[in-house]
Amino acid sequence: MSANLDSSNVATRENRIGSITGYIGSLSDLASQSECGTLKGCSRCFSQSSTCLSTCALGQLSAIRDIAIIHHGPAGCSVASANSYYLDKVMAKKRGVTNDTVYVGTDMNENDTIFGSTEKLYDIILEVNRRYSPKAIFVTSSCATGIIGEDIDSVVDDAKAEIDVPVVAVHCEGFKSRIWATGFDISDHAVLSGIVKPPKEKRNTINFKNFYESARPEIMEMFKQFDLEPIFLYCNSTVEELSHISESLATTCICGTLGNYLGNVLEEKYGVPYVRSINQCGITGFETWLREIGKVTGRSDKIEKYLEEQRAIYMPQIEEVKKELKGLRAVIGMGPGYTFEVSRVLNELGIEVVWALAWHYDKKYENGDVPPSMKYLLDNDIDFEASVADQQNFEVMNILHKYQPDLYLSRHPGSTVWAIKNGTPAVYVADEYMIFGYKHTLEFAHTILDTIRNRSFEQNLAKRVKLPYTDWWYDQNVGTFLEEAKK
Amino acid sequence: MAEIRQIAIYGKGGIGKSTTTQNLTAGLCEHGKKVMVVGCDPKADSTRLLLGGLAQKTVLDTIRDEGEDIELDRIMREGFGGTRCVESGGPEPGVGCAGRGIITSINMLENLGAYTDDLDYVFYDVLGDVVCGGFAMPIREGKAKEIYIVASGEMMALYAANNIAKGIKRYAKTGGVRLGGIICNSRNVDRELDLLRAFSKELGTQLLYFVPRDNIVQHAEINKKTVIEYKPDSNQAQEYRNLAEAVINNTKFDIPTPMTQERLEEILFEFGLMDTADDYKI
Repeated sequence: MSANLDSSNVATRENRIGSITGYIGSLSDLASQSECGTLKGCSRCFSQSSTCLSTCALGQLSAIRDIAIIHHGPAGCSVASANSYYLDKVMAKKRGVTNDTVYVGTDMNENDTIFGSTEKLYDIILEVNRRYSPKAIFVTSSCATGIIGEDIDSVVDDAKAEIDVPVVAVHCEGFKSRIWATGFDISDHAVLSGIVKPPKEKRNTINFKNFYESARPEIMEMFKQFDLEPIFLYCNSTVEELSHISESLATTCICGTLGNYLGNVLEEKYGVPYVRSINQCGITGFETWLREIGKVTGRSDKIEKYLEEQRAIYMPQIEEVKKELKGLRAVIGMGPGYTFEVSRVLNELGIEVVWALAWHYDKKYENGDVPPSMKYLLDNDIDFEASVADQQNFEVMNILHKYQPDLYLSRHPGSTVWAIKNGTPAVYVADEYMIFGYKHTLEFAHTILDTIRNRSFEQNLAKRVKLPYTDWWYDQNVGTFLEEAKK
Repeated sequence: MAEIRQIAIYGKGGIGKSTTTQNLTAGLCEHGKKVMVVGCDPKADSTRLLLGGLAQKTVLDTIRDEGEDIELDRIMREGFGGTRCVESGGPEPGVGCAGRGIITSINMLENLGAYTDDLDYVFYDVLGDVVCGGFAMPIREGKAKEIYIVASGEMMALYAANNIAKGIKRYAKTGGVRLGGIICNSRNVDRELDLLRAFSKELGTQLLYFVPRDNIVQHAEINKKTVIEYKPDSNQAQEYRNLAEAVINNTKFDIPTPMTQERLEEILFEFGLMDTADDYKI
């Protein structure tokens, strides 16, 4: 990969790393086709749902403290602002800081789409700067501005001459990618091209790309033992912190889908090593990841000592609970980062994954390699049915109905409810740190045990709920609406 | 009261759509018909000959300057023979979206009650290159049901006409729009009449009228008039009256059968280029 930070645009995941949204087969086939470059995505002739990439991009950026998002588009395009606003305030409160970020929509009207509205946009940027004094301003496109070719870059260039803080154009037209995670890359690109400065010195910091930094205190405590300090990105980040992330010792992330663009570009442009191991979920994941951190920061001895201590505390307990989980069958539906990481953990706990659905799939990461989570499963002869399902609930329900697993695991709001209505106990892996390290792996194992021990709620609910899917659909092959793979 | 005949005029850029439309309109006026001409080109020059110059404030400029609460007479002016003239207008080149502008301004005309029962004809004079959905607006949603394509014996004019026919065919299924025929605005290309007849036949339509080339059209344009107003006794004025009559009497409305690129080129070779390559004249 070669990132071009001089351009405000970043290519979509489909074009950059061959990501797909439709596939049905086995994990081994998916991985081997990825490795040899023959993997082709299928489209759907029927699609039930999707997510707009701008929600991802702007959700990430708006979590940065004390900045302004100016979303240039009709009012409806800024619909996600309310949720972002709420979430950002809650996350700041939780950490005990204040976040004065503002999220402004330009409320384009019909005349603006006909005549263009660059002059208005320019005035809005200056007014937002005057009124709120943000530490940075992200000026973002929408589908409407994308269609009419509104020249946001020129407006941003003009505004930069008048404003002392960074003003960054963000091109996040929702229609340009089927894959919402393209929005993560767009937010990374905006931060990298507009905020991050070249390094002046090295710091004992680790860039930690995550969503909501819920395990912040314990990770800080752990890293302190290694004389390292994590910089959690972007929730509650400050512009000042972000401007220095090129000076960190390494970049790591909780989820490869979320962090791979930032990590790779920081490595490529500024020589900050990107820790590409499997993620921190589960025992092997945690150990592999921490050892890799030790390697790139020269702290292997301290880390081995830490692992030994922790193993002594937690491994006997994990082994104990594993006895009760052995033989359970699970179906899992998550983003591609977590799908294959959590599958690995389930395998580690003795739970059989019968089908894994990834909402999309990245054939390769920016460095050209197959995602590490995938490679690990292959190297360890772990195989199961797998599909790339683009959040299509009807496909999830078809699989649950056919396989009747003991457990369904998902990471996206609302998705586990459907499994429960089907009578399938479900675990909502909402928090990204829910399976982090030994301690949370143990807790995760107990959560699963609690979930499957008493199934009366699911059974009773299933008896009383009529799901909208017909018997016809349950009899169909799950890939009925997938069209033939295109080149 | 008979239904208003709403007619859209399409054709390659520079082929003479506006000139033909306005002269045709003048001819219809002489027949006592009540006509409205709606210019659907951001350049806003579709009613210049009827109004005696570019004196018209466009619909979109008016909306932008005065908001949507406007009276019809702010955007409509009366021209030659009592014709009602409207220019949709549009953004400056390179910004905004002209296609969306057409949609907005036609909706605005409807909202303001421009389509009165006393009208016999409404003409939409559309930008030459139908580059996006906005420029197909006049033939969508049951507005213009009748289309004439202005063409000549030149290759690119026929390419464009064939492409436009594809658009008409698409909307014919849902909107009931039909092709009334081809109007040839002659460029004095050899065998032009034969070529246009063959082309029209292949397209499943008729050559409605062949307007010969005459420099008087240019003279009239310089004087900001239609030929019928500028030199009512000239042969060309009579040609436009004949065209008007052909439109009035036309009852042949078809769903076109656009041809493949290969077939179009075959026809062009047969009538246009092969035999006359050495003595091609304009």
